[in-house]
Amino acid sequence: MIKQLFTSLVVGLTLSVSAPLYAADLSDVNEIVNQANLAAYYQGADGRSEARMLIEDSQGRQQQRQFTILRRDHEDGGDQQFLVAFSRPADVRGTVFLVEKHAGTDDDRWLYLPGLDLVKRISAGDKRTSFVGSNYFYEDVSGRNPEEDNHQLLETTAEFYVLDNTPKDPGSVEFSHYRVWIDKVSMLPMKIEYYDTSDKLYRRVEVLATEQVQGFPTVTKSRVSDLVSGASTTMEFRFIRYDLGMDSSVFTERSLRNPPRQWLKRPE
Amino acid sequence: MLQTTLVNLSMNRPRWVFFGVLLLTVIAGLQIPSIKVDTDPENMLPADNAARVFHDHVKERFGLHDMIVVGVVNDSAGGIYNQQSLSELQQLSDAIVQMDGVVSQDLMSLDRVDNISQEGPGTIRFEWMMKQVPTDQAGIDQIRTSVERLPLLNNTLVSGDGKAAGIYIPITQKSESYRISGLIQTEISKLSGNNQYYISGLPVAEDTFGVEMFIQMAISAPLAGLMIFILMWVFFRSFLLITAPMLVAMGSVIITMGLLIGQGYTVHIMSSMIPIFLMPIAVVDSVHILSEFADRYRPGEDPKVALKEVLGHLFTPMLYTSVTSAVGFASLAFTPIPPVQIFGLHVAFGIMLAFVLTITLVPAYIISLSPKRMAQMKDHNIDEDDNSFLGRLLIFTGRFSIARAKGLLVLFVLIVVGSAYGVAQIQINDNPVRWFKPDHPLRVADRVMNHHFPGTYNAFLVLDKTGDLRSGLEQSLQTRAAKEGVELQQKLDSVTAESFIEYTNALINLFDQLSYDDSDHETLWLDLLDMTEKAQINSKYFLTPDAMTYLDGLQTFLDDSEYVGKSNGLPTLLKTVYRELQGGAADQYRLPSTAAAAAQTVLSFQGSHRPNDLWHMVTPDYRSTVLWLQLSSGDNQDMNRVLKLVDGYVADHPLPEGVKLNWAGLTYINVVWQDEMVNGMLNSLMGAFFMVLLIMILLFRSVKIGLLSMLPLTVTILFIYGLIGLSGKDYDMPIAVLSALTLGLSVDFAIHFLERTRAIYRECGSWEQTVAEVYKGPSRAISRNAVVVAIGFTPLLFAPLVPYITVGFFLATIMAVSAVVTVMLLPAVMEMIKDKDSLFGVKPGIKESIHD
Repeated sequence: MIKQLFTSLVVGLTLSVSAPLYAADLSDVNEIVNQANLAAYYQGADGRSEARMLIEDSQGRQQQRQFTILRRDHEDGGDQQFLVAFSRPADVRGTVFLVEKHAGTDDDRWLYLPGLDLVKRISAGDKRTSFVGSNYFYEDVSGRNPEEDNHQLLETTAEFYVLDNTPKDPGSVEFSHYRVWIDKVSMLPMKIEYYDTSDKLYRRVEVLATEQVQGFPTVTKSRVSDLVSGASTTMEFRFIRYDLGMDSSVFTERSLRNPPRQWLKRPE
Repeated sequence: MLQTTLVNLSMNRPRWVFFGVLLLTVIAGLQIPSIKVDTDPENMLPADNAARVFHDHVKERFGLHDMIVVGVVNDSAGGIYNQQSLSELQQLSDAIVQMDGVVSQDLMSLDRVDNISQEGPGTIRFEWMMKQVPTDQAGIDQIRTSVERLPLLNNTLVSGDGKAAGIYIPITQKSESYRISGLIQTEISKLSGNNQYYISGLPVAEDTFGVEMFIQMAISAPLAGLMIFILMWVFFRSFLLITAPMLVAMGSVIITMGLLIGQGYTVHIMSSMIPIFLMPIAVVDSVHILSEFADRYRPGEDPKVALKEVLGHLFTPMLYTSVTSAVGFASLAFTPIPPVQIFGLHVAFGIMLAFVLTITLVPAYIISLSPKRMAQMKDHNIDEDDNSFLGRLLIFTGRFSIARAKGLLVLFVLIVVGSAYGVAQIQINDNPVRWFKPDHPLRVADRVMNHHFPGTYNAFLVLDKTGDLRSGLEQSLQTRAAKEGVELQQKLDSVTAESFIEYTNALINLFDQLSYDDSDHETLWLDLLDMTEKAQINSKYFLTPDAMTYLDGLQTFLDDSEYVGKSNGLPTLLKTVYRELQGGAADQYRLPSTAAAAAQTVLSFQGSHRPNDLWHMVTPDYRSTVLWLQLSSGDNQDMNRVLKLVDGYVADHPLPEGVKLNWAGLTYINVVWQDEMVNGMLNSLMGAFFMVLLIMILLFRSVKIGLLSMLPLTVTILFIYGLIGLSGKDYDMPIAVLSALTLGLSVDFAIHFLERTRAIYRECGSWEQTVAEVYKGPSRAISRNAVVVAIGFTPLLFAPLVPYITVGFFLATIMAVSAVVTVMLLPAVMEMIKDKDSLFGVKPGIKESIHD
């Protein structure tokens, strides 16, 4: 999920050097997009990680958010379930987001606010809204459906596939196109740059660190920069585990009020 | 002696004088192109002024910017809620967002804000209010319903009557607003609909004023020069004669402005009037010299002899009139307003410079004339006939003043009493938008916008929670750690963060990690973590029900008052989001009941497109919050009323413990500097009065005549300010500055009048004869000078900017009134004084020597 958004520098590179078994360059843009989507959002059958988010405004003032993310795939590249449980700041502890991601249609989203003892369904409407006040969008967290854009392979460098992506429905998004650098080895998108309608670069998503976790190249640190305001959000992932064997019952409305402690607690 | 040295130099070395003056003028002139205009009223306060520092700090802490407000108005029945109007609005806002200098992410417009709404039971929806303009009227009506549901948007983005929409454009630099408003105007002209567009906002007013002021300077100053030239030609009918005063005037103006600009000072509203002030003052003395020289010089004689005589005769009165005028202006240095200080000191310098140029350049000019030209000069009858209109009028005035002395005195006493009453009626008020004429587009926009909206003037009410949080927390953490024998100090010292929230976040991360790494003390670290988290929650004061309830009460009180159009603040946001979370019913429009509920309400809001709008209302540590008040009037009086309202509320409802209340915003800043100005002006007026009195006593070496010379200006100042009070004209910035000027200028007439009266009396010893003489020569010179100066200021009356008109009108009035008071009141008062010998210091056997 969030962490797998993008890829690696150190680990990914050493891997690529030590294992000269990578195949010839891909030339089918849809194949590249497909693989990148899987690498970024669908590693393992399920996964958990603890995220610490540092939101820094243009004046350098910082806010922190800490939450645990659980994910379970229905099928690779298809529907997914997410549960995001907040632990900090302490006054929002127990706040939970539940997302049923549908590859074909709008997602279902629920929110639980313990202070109001309130479960609320959130209309999917627009997924490009802020994720809890950070510079990440909901869509950055749960993944943008590749079907929503037209993709074009611009170039293939020694390390990256560089793609340009244009929305099929420009009215539904705030960008006119975005460019992605996909690591040729891990197939993780390492950098995404968004351009506005006057073709000015205004937003950047980048991977700052990756690790191999249980054999999966995994993003452990990433950042979104708002190039207009100068604000940015850095997210670190720790205590990452894949293939825990979570079943679908973890991701029900019942879990909003009664979070699944078994999976939320830190693995030994 | 200085006088002799200067006069000899200029008569013997006229070329040196010409060359020297020319050189100075060229050097000064070269500075002028680097002129920097500054019309920012904030600069009326020194950069380190407490209110200004606070204002800047508030802007920074809350990410607030100065704003241009574009009004989109459609007066048809449906208002702006039709497809065409909204499409134009969107087209315009799309264009504005792309402009350099616009803080695009904070721009507020219907198409750039979020709608929070209910989508079926239990479902909340965040979406753009108007991502695209709906193609059907139903969709458009839905937008209207949505806007009217959201208190933060209703009556701010669209007026309550639906006829006007606002685009709020934050800009990075106030000084960019004229340029940006020009670009916006260009975009507006590309639109082809039935909307009217209005550009308003204090920054535009201020910046536009700067640009128009520049144009004004370029027109008015040369025009004033031309007026004076024409007027002197009417009086003297000799270009030859009036060339010299014009040279003195131009030299003084160019060197003074060059000096001001060369020192790196910005040209403020007042400083832009320096040329217009200096020109009339500068020509007056040269006129005296030329008049007298033309009288005394006989063709064929050595002009130097006549010139020496004239200068010997005029040097002292010219010096003193210059010094007193300069003192009047220099007294402005006592006001705590930097631009006024700079203005006063430079005009003072200019006046003294004009004096020096008069006694050097004019003699040099005369000496350089060929005998043939000199003879031509004589052909013009400079001294008017006693039978001229002015001559006859003055002779009549003289007789009248003496004959009706008692009656006149009674009349003047009545005028003084009436004026004193008028002064008591003075309304202290100002508003930079009113610096434009009523038909100026900015004034029109101001009227229209404030008609539809609750207000386009901003004031910010800031509440800060104070108190040291850190040491209390550190102490309890150490006490807890000590129980288990763990030394914490080193670990605490390793955490460095400015704000408490960042400090506690760092501690929380530290304890979290330690609880993992140091499992022996896991309980301790988890306890410390818990304590720190509690301290952090408690530190977020402006989420607590107590704080929000107080703020909400204050907002309700302000919204109900007639001077505050609308207030926006954190309670507004909390109540709105809370209502939508609770299903959207009107009775759910209330504050969350706990701090945690408030924090989660905020977190929900942060899932919108514009989460950062929150930080314009509260700082990320929740220790400071700001209420944005929309005022429909930018008048300082109205802002003062709001200040009083809040003071009253706080007196009845004391602020929670440790909470401090302060103000920020341009409308408030204007009030601050005006208060400083009014007090400062009183000081400078009093200071100047006593300085001038002292100079008068020294000049005349007589306390009685010294006091007498202050009489006309005292009556004049009282009269002028009484008139302002009675006419209901606001006492604003230009009026305030006038007081000191009046003093410096109107004493000139008294000096000339008393000086000549005493001299004539000492020669002839007869009061009747003295009066008759005085009303021929000196009175005529005074009247003529009054006319020259007064008319010299008249180009200001045609200025498009109100402060210039005000200054022009009142200066002309001051000249006229003080001339009349001088020639009527002084003789009447002297008539009433029985012992004329004692008054004029005539002692048997002592020869008069003042003019030697």
